[in-house]
Amino acid sequence: MVTLLRRGWAGRIAMVLAVVGPGFITAAVDNDAGGIATYSVAGAQFGYSLLWIMIPATVALVVIQEMSARMGAATGKGLSDLIREEFGFRVTFFLMLALVFTNFGNIVAEFAGVASSLELFGASKYIVVPLAALLVWALVVHGTYNSVEKIFLFASLLYVTYVVSGITAKPDWTAAALSTVTRPESRGFRNYGYLSMVIGLIGTTITPWMQFYLQSSVVEKGVTMRQYRAARLDVVIGCLFSNVIAWFIIVACAATLHAAGKFTIETGADAAQALRPLAGEYAYLLFAGGLLNASLFAASILPISTAYAVCEGLGFESGLDKRFDEAPAFYWLYTALIVVGAGVLLVPHFPLFRVMVLSQVVNGILLPFVLVVMLLLVNDKELMGEHVNSRWYNVVSWSTAGAMIALSVALLIAQLRS
Amino acid sequence: MSLVALSELLGATVRDATGNARGRVREVAVAPQDHPTRVAFLVVRTANGERALRLNSIKAAAGSSVRSTDEASSWSGYSPSDGLLLLKRDLLDQQIIDVHGRKVVRVNDVEIECTPVNGHLLLDVVAVDVGARGAIRRLSKGVVPSFTLRALLERIPPRVIPWQFVDLIETDPARRVKLKIAYEGLSKLHPADIADIVEDLPPAEREAVFETIDEEVAAETLEELEPDVQTSVVESLDKERAADIVEEMDPDAAADLLGDLPEEEAGQILDEMRPEERQEVTQLLEFGEHTAAGRMTTEFVAVAETATVNDAIEALKTFEGSREALATIYLKGPGDRLVGSVPLVKIAISPASAGLSSLNEPYIACAPDTPQSEVAALFDKYNLITLAVVDEHGRVAGIITADDVISMLRRKD
Repeated sequence: MVTLLRRGWAGRIAMVLAVVGPGFITAAVDNDAGGIATYSVAGAQFGYSLLWIMIPATVALVVIQEMSARMGAATGKGLSDLIREEFGFRVTFFLMLALVFTNFGNIVAEFAGVASSLELFGASKYIVVPLAALLVWALVVHGTYNSVEKIFLFASLLYVTYVVSGITAKPDWTAAALSTVTRPESRGFRNYGYLSMVIGLIGTTITPWMQFYLQSSVVEKGVTMRQYRAARLDVVIGCLFSNVIAWFIIVACAATLHAAGKFTIETGADAAQALRPLAGEYAYLLFAGGLLNASLFAASILPISTAYAVCEGLGFESGLDKRFDEAPAFYWLYTALIVVGAGVLLVPHFPLFRVMVLSQVVNGILLPFVLVVMLLLVNDKELMGEHVNSRWYNVVSWSTAGAMIALSVALLIAQLRS
Repeated sequence: MSLVALSELLGATVRDATGNARGRVREVAVAPQDHPTRVAFLVVRTANGERALRLNSIKAAAGSSVRSTDEASSWSGYSPSDGLLLLKRDLLDQQIIDVHGRKVVRVNDVEIECTPVNGHLLLDVVAVDVGARGAIRRLSKGVVPSFTLRALLERIPPRVIPWQFVDLIETDPARRVKLKIAYEGLSKLHPADIADIVEDLPPAEREAVFETIDEEVAAETLEELEPDVQTSVVESLDKERAADIVEEMDPDAAADLLGDLPEEEAGQILDEMRPEERQEVTQLLEFGEHTAAGRMTTEFVAVAETATVNDAIEALKTFEGSREALATIYLKGPGDRLVGSVPLVKIAISPASAGLSSLNEPYIACAPDTPQSEVAALFDKYNLITLAVVDEHGRVAGIITADDVISMLRRKD
């Protein structure tokens, strides 16, 4: 009975580790190129004054991600599977169409992040973007779920560079801590720029693709309700970690750029560049390296998660264990997202900015639908059994969703106006 | 005789004998106890609640309208029952097993055949649509005029699975019995194909398959699953059923599986097993998983060196282990020590009276603690089909077969 006896406390730790991953990775990818840009701009423009957002944003993120993970564990099915089975073909089709479009915009943004972070080191985008696309494609197609997940977990840890970068920026810790816990002044909201930044920060934190990705990876990992406590911990820790990183990015930019009066930056790469004379070479390198890591990481996850969600929902064969000729739709969609997503960056005079704005608009339209569909599904007794939301949880989650929907609509209106 | 799609039927206007529209079709019900494919009735939503419209009162069903031969007032009320297969709820958009194509697919539409008999219609489920035709029909329903749509759909090559090759997935055991759903088609497939299908199913469906199919098929299928799927399936089954299946597995595969389970659960399954199988498996569990002994099976054929070909054939007849283990017959000398081996081929082509010692070939063997990489090297070097694992007394403890080595090498990466 040697083999059997080997499992003791070590076995128990192994059990926890066995379910860690999906929640942590999803939350980490949340800080992608677009996220870093938004946090940097928030810090540079408004200093510490937007830090209060991190606490409500974390709560909202945890509440919504927890439902995704719970649905995955309780049903063993991905979100797009459930949407298809409960809401039929037409609803699924249009949701998937919107998902492909908004994720495409995100993928373009990630490759743009790769290009701009490496341009800081003097590399040409005509070389690095195709290389990055190839790397991403090969990593996912040739790796197994376990090996890829290990790489992803490692990439998540690299986000710590932003913590170091934040510390080297020598911020005013007391002011930062105080702004995090004090209620914001209401007159700030009358400022259009401030309000749209609030909306942007929340919008970059909770996105439609995360719900599809998280639920599918919980399923793929084979997590069931028996291991759910560990999986929930994974989600909560992941969300906390992700938002702590976001906090440090804002603080780093607030302590340096805002303090020095450099309010106008547009991207993460701008922020890194601006940090250089203010916070020194190390802070600059860490910031730029972090951006590269984040962009590559998200560029690896978005295309594959899109391909999975779409093929599962619409009933195409999917899965990396299938050959190309067995799952053509899956591989074509995956490849096209990467090739076109990276390719448009190399097209001279491509209306990049307009595509990105449009994709943000679609994102804003899609999110309310996804949230409402999720809440309907998670409260479906036939599907979830005893694991439906409790009453108080429903109060919290519906108000979170309501707030998110209101913000998305506001963002949408703001974007359509400008 | 004509085909009508379920998605066309759903929402169709229902007119009664007077020609007045009385309601719309909401559901199509099949009662599998009465007839496996025949539609029993349509559930019609009327102003006075839901009605069950029996087939013998349906005169015509085409495009977007259904005509009844009766007055609406004579339609009986509809009450849901467990024993009904509701095509919209249980089939449309759900996953099914395509037995012929050996995979899990999602249903885009259901094809129903209408046959006029004595002034009314018989409706039979003939196939499920899993291709673009069904998808486009559902996407454009109500948007594109139905005749244009029909013409358009004609041009799309159909991708349908005939109903007899469809295995439904139903996770509730009580309901499965009432619906007479058996994994008939599935259990006739090769266990490796069943394993591929099972890996594509959600956990509850996996459990349903393993609770239903024959123990022997279940055991072989389990051996073919990925290790992590294996453990999750076994953990989901009740201990008695799990033990029944594990008993049927090759002892080496069973030991690997139990070694991967949490201690408590492996113990419970062992307790439920028959004593002799339990003993074999516990013996194997004592060895490290990555050694020769951890990879070996204890079911093999060994006869005395004095035996004849005829004796060997008798031994083969009573052998219950896996076929792979039969490739070599081992010869035992005094004290049950291994003295030689005879390939099955030689036995097949030699006279029944020939002594096995005359067919003897030099044998290759290894110690129980030989690392698995060395085991693989031995197979490669000597072109082996089986390899004997010999204990410190020179007795055969078990044998390793080539198929185990192949899966061992494949799982390394």
